[in-house]
Amino acid sequence: MSDSKNPLSPHLQIYRWHISSLVSITHRISGVINLLALILIFFWLLILSFGENNYELFLLVVNSFFGKFILIGFTWSMTFHVLSGVRHLVWDLGYGFEIKTAKISGIIVIISSLVLTILFWLFGRGLI
Amino acid sequence: MKETKKWVLHRVSATILAPLYVWLYFSIVSLSIENYSEAVYFFKNPLFGILTIMVFFVGFFHVKISLSEIFEDYIHNKKIKDAANILALILCIIIPVIILILLIYKI
Repeated sequence: MSDSKNPLSPHLQIYRWHISSLVSITHRISGVINLLALILIFFWLLILSFGENNYELFLLVVNSFFGKFILIGFTWSMTFHVLSGVRHLVWDLGYGFEIKTAKISGIIVIISSLVLTILFWLFGRGLI
Repeated sequence: MKETKKWVLHRVSATILAPLYVWLYFSIVSLSIENYSEAVYFFKNPLFGILTIMVFFVGFFHVKISLSEIFEDYIHNKKIKDAANILALILCIIIPVIILILLIYKI
């Protein structure tokens, strides 16, 4: 019997991508990005305590193209991690393990995280 | 800490953190178009101050458990893993404590 059909050990670059594996690794990556976001908010408050001049300068950086790019990225990372986290909590309660359900909930997480990021940004920045 | 206890506390902290984190992040995005005095006024509000401090304490508690999980998966040298865990623990204590001091005495 040939060995060629035996499964390989887990490997991100070899296994075909599925919604479940994509959402799983993105949950972990977005969690680490959220840590960076919390550290940014820490510096935000630190600079606020340094007084008005420093804070206004900081706001200029935040509102530059680069700053907005980072803030929008952090917003998406936050919405994704929270939504995917809710999906994990539902699993922990014992629901949603069927392959079809897991696939659909994964797609819902991806799409609604993007929609929420846009809404969050529009409302937060007073554009609506 | 026992693994089961860690697992439970990870979920409990996530449940408390989710609404708080969304709130703080929304506030930060809103404050990015306001000036210095608006930001100071926001954080001087006792309720908002307490909620912010909660995000940092619960948040970095959640971060510590999560980082240990990640180190467990990717760092195989025990000495390096222990060192990484100690560094993470120091980071996760220092940042919330500084936030607490800032919000009470400096802002």
